[in-house]
Amino acid sequence: MVLFVLSVFCVLIGRLAQLQILESEEHDAESRHNIIRQITLATSRGVIRDAHGKVLAANRPSYNVYVVPGIIDMKTTWPRVVALMGLDETERKALEQRITDLKANETKKMQQTLLKVDVSRDVVAKLKTHEVRGPRPAGEAELGLVGVEVAPAPVRYYPYGELGAHLFGYMREVDADTLLRMQGRGYRSGDRIGAIGVERRWESYLRGQRGWRKTVRGLRSPGRQQREQMEARYLDEPRRLDPVPGRDISLTLDVELLKATEKAMRGQLAGAVVVVDVRTGRLLTAYSKPSFDPNVASGGSGTKAVREAFRRLFSDPLKPTLDKTISAAYPPGSTYKPFSALAALADRLVNPSAQVHCRGGYWYGKRYFRCTGVHGHVNLHEAIVVSCNTYFYALGEALQNAPGKAGIDRLAKVGLDFGLGAKTGIGVNPEARGRMPTRSWYTRRYKGAFRGGFTLLASIGQGASTVTVLQLALSYAALANGGTLYQPQVVRSIETSDGTIVQEFPPRVRRMVPVDQGHLGRIQRALTGVVNEREGTAYKERLADVDMAGKTGTAQVSHVTPRGVDPDKVWYFNRDHAWFAGYAPSGAPEIAIVVLIEHGGGGGKNAVPVGMRVVEQWQQLKAKRMLARAAATEDEEGNAL
Amino acid sequence: MRGRDGISFRVGAQVDMPLLVGIVAIATLGVVNLYSGTSVYVDDPRRAAFADFYVSQIYWIVVGVLAGVLVAALDYRHYERLAYVFYGGGIVALCLVFVLGEDIRGTTRWIQLGSFTFQPSEFMKIVMILAVARYLADDPKLEPRTLFDLIPPLALTALPVALVMAQPDLGTSLSYALTAFSVLAMMKIRRRALLSLLVGIGGASVLIWKYGMREYQKERITSFLDPQEDLSGTGWHAMQSRTAIGNGGLTGEGFMQGTQNQFGFLPDQHSDFPFAVFAEEWGFVGSVLLLATYCFLCIWSIHIASQAKDRFGAAVAIGVGAMIFWHTLANVGMAMGLLPVVGITLPLFSYGGSSALTMLIGFGLLMNVSMRR
Repeated sequence: MVLFVLSVFCVLIGRLAQLQILESEEHDAESRHNIIRQITLATSRGVIRDAHGKVLAANRPSYNVYVVPGIIDMKTTWPRVVALMGLDETERKALEQRITDLKANETKKMQQTLLKVDVSRDVVAKLKTHEVRGPRPAGEAELGLVGVEVAPAPVRYYPYGELGAHLFGYMREVDADTLLRMQGRGYRSGDRIGAIGVERRWESYLRGQRGWRKTVRGLRSPGRQQREQMEARYLDEPRRLDPVPGRDISLTLDVELLKATEKAMRGQLAGAVVVVDVRTGRLLTAYSKPSFDPNVASGGSGTKAVREAFRRLFSDPLKPTLDKTISAAYPPGSTYKPFSALAALADRLVNPSAQVHCRGGYWYGKRYFRCTGVHGHVNLHEAIVVSCNTYFYALGEALQNAPGKAGIDRLAKVGLDFGLGAKTGIGVNPEARGRMPTRSWYTRRYKGAFRGGFTLLASIGQGASTVTVLQLALSYAALANGGTLYQPQVVRSIETSDGTIVQEFPPRVRRMVPVDQGHLGRIQRALTGVVNEREGTAYKERLADVDMAGKTGTAQVSHVTPRGVDPDKVWYFNRDHAWFAGYAPSGAPEIAIVVLIEHGGGGGKNAVPVGMRVVEQWQQLKAKRMLARAAATEDEEGNAL
Repeated sequence: MRGRDGISFRVGAQVDMPLLVGIVAIATLGVVNLYSGTSVYVDDPRRAAFADFYVSQIYWIVVGVLAGVLVAALDYRHYERLAYVFYGGGIVALCLVFVLGEDIRGTTRWIQLGSFTFQPSEFMKIVMILAVARYLADDPKLEPRTLFDLIPPLALTALPVALVMAQPDLGTSLSYALTAFSVLAMMKIRRRALLSLLVGIGGASVLIWKYGMREYQKERITSFLDPQEDLSGTGWHAMQSRTAIGNGGLTGEGFMQGTQNQFGFLPDQHSDFPFAVFAEEWGFVGSVLLLATYCFLCIWSIHIASQAKDRFGAAVAIGVGAMIFWHTLANVGMAMGLLPVVGITLPLFSYGGSSALTMLIGFGLLMNVSMRR
């Protein structure tokens, strides 16, 4: 019996030795881990600004109201919360139901639940005055709102709302896949990450780096001195890592011009506008319609609102989530004609002064290719000005019949030289490549049956050719600046939060397009004619004070549109796309602009007015800014004196 | 000196000094440890009363010492005579619990008596020892016992076990059973009887598991068998207790310096896990000394039993020793993660008036037997 007792105690002591001597270090670490809490120090996401310093994306606190269902008193506290928050009857009922349900749930009733997101400052002030933290102080029960808390959470804020949302982007909650993929980069579930546009592309710069602070936890109401003692005793160095705020980003965009674009596009259902600086390739405007509110998409109005918004966005046939400037390709239509002309000129297949007789169409083999009208005798210049298809069918046939029968490849080559049908490398948002069809492409696509008619269609920008709005804008910039194709640029510079420039992005030339300057001059004159000559397709809609050159386009969408039917009566999604591509001023170009109105019908009638108004605004902004600068310099001089 | 009714006050009888020193040591350390363990609650408005537990523990120990002295003073043969009377009273008290008892945390264990609550099941531990010892003393059979012979003492045990199980209080009923079996182990038992007894116990425990136990009791056992499964509930308590003991290391964190306890990671530090508090503060060295003291008390009671002048005295000494032994083993084993968490107290370390009183009365009995060998 004594032996039994002794052996049992030996077992106990053995276990004691195992815990306290052999495994001592592990348990030591566990107990430290128990009492030390690492508090995350939040960082702030960088601000996005436009070229003139206007804030496009920033952070603001969103005040959320939380309740602890297990604590809140539904008889005394709840009616006062309802009154203070100004909840209406339906809201009150729904929330009341939720709280009652949670009260019955043993595991969840002591967890804080979100009651309402982003309440107004008035409500915050009212609730804050009555808020009670921690245990209920004796005797104050009927004054304080026990179990209710108002807490700020940072929310991304886009002051211009829908304007430019596709390019600036929005924030979304990081999902499980991304968390897995981004392992080791410090993302945690619940974090927000840039979803599209600049927010996504420059995420690593904007994001900043979280810091942390270690503290001894769970001390019941420690005095300051006691806390310091405890920390000195239990915490290892370093006890703190300061957070690094995210980098600020300045874009090349001009939000004032963007606003003007939005205004000009009012009355159109869907489309896109791109304005680039022809001397740098910098984007001044990128506008895609319809758009969405990035404030809602980023969760500023709660997760429910996000789900609801996306459900609506994805079911919209006008595709509000699609960036129509970059991510979608369309047939260029007649806006492609300058490049067809350059191809034929370069190969000396066309005499610019020779005339073609347009009777409203063109026979090629057994097929009849229609023109937009009956233009009579036209030379190259006139053909571009009036946008005569017949002339370009003849030009296409000449290319087709050139030695080697590789006319369509020549067309594609010139297009590609000008950056059409190839990704621009803008880096923001998924880029549509577009397409410059070649003979081999057609052979593959139509199982060996290449027909010359394809070349004719390609020469007027129809058939299988597609381009993005951005590509077309850059190619027109190249037409305007004498053949320099730029890399499109969205970000101008990156700064630290105190304004020091960390990195600046100079313009980058993609290539010098091999083009004869004489030919280019001829095309430029023709483009000026489109706007300024009486027969020009854009003449009717031109604005007196706007000096620009350009080319209209009406890209066929449906092959079944019968002739002579009122375009307004065709089903919307079968209507033609309206294009206007050009540059301004016509003499010494500074900007290139492309307007696309999806299913907008005729380019001259519908796209040109938009382009004109945007250019007009650009001129006014430029004048205003010059005046302001002059005034500022004068002021400085005045101060100096 | 002889009084009326044969009550003897043998002043100057040999006081068992080693036993006395052991008891004093354990009682003192127990109060000190309780003071440290509950000091966490000083600033906690909701549980400030916990911090004063050590004061009431001192009161109870004073009362217990007086009771123990009284118990030691009366010749234990009087208890032998009255054993079945006590037993009957105990059973009545256990039944009364269901009628008068207060429901605290889902179990009915306490009876309110004036401003005190007391726990009849605690005192029943002593009464059971007396009753079983009485039965053994009355039955001087020398040849090995058959199963039939074992029925009366087993019935004596089974009745209170069942009553306490119904409260429900798994720990105490286990304590009854183990203590009674330890006393019965003094007898010679036929091999066949022993075998069928074991089979019977096995069958009974399966039945108890199925029909007699509440969910939370089962949970404690399953969480012990698979601690990873439930790290939020009972398994978590056991894990934190192990961490506390391990954190003590060789020499301990120092008095009132154990972080596991001071930061509130030890739940029920006053009742279930006082050993974890002690081990964290005093380390391996202190804990071995404490366990050695308990071990000494157990062995010393066996020694006292072997010296006793009659069967009853020996059985009582073995009974008290077994009670201390099983309680220590169960509580320390649970704190170190060797056994599942069942609420069995650590003698004189766990907070509880009835428990302290019971243990001290037990020691009084030991002293009694020791003085009258």
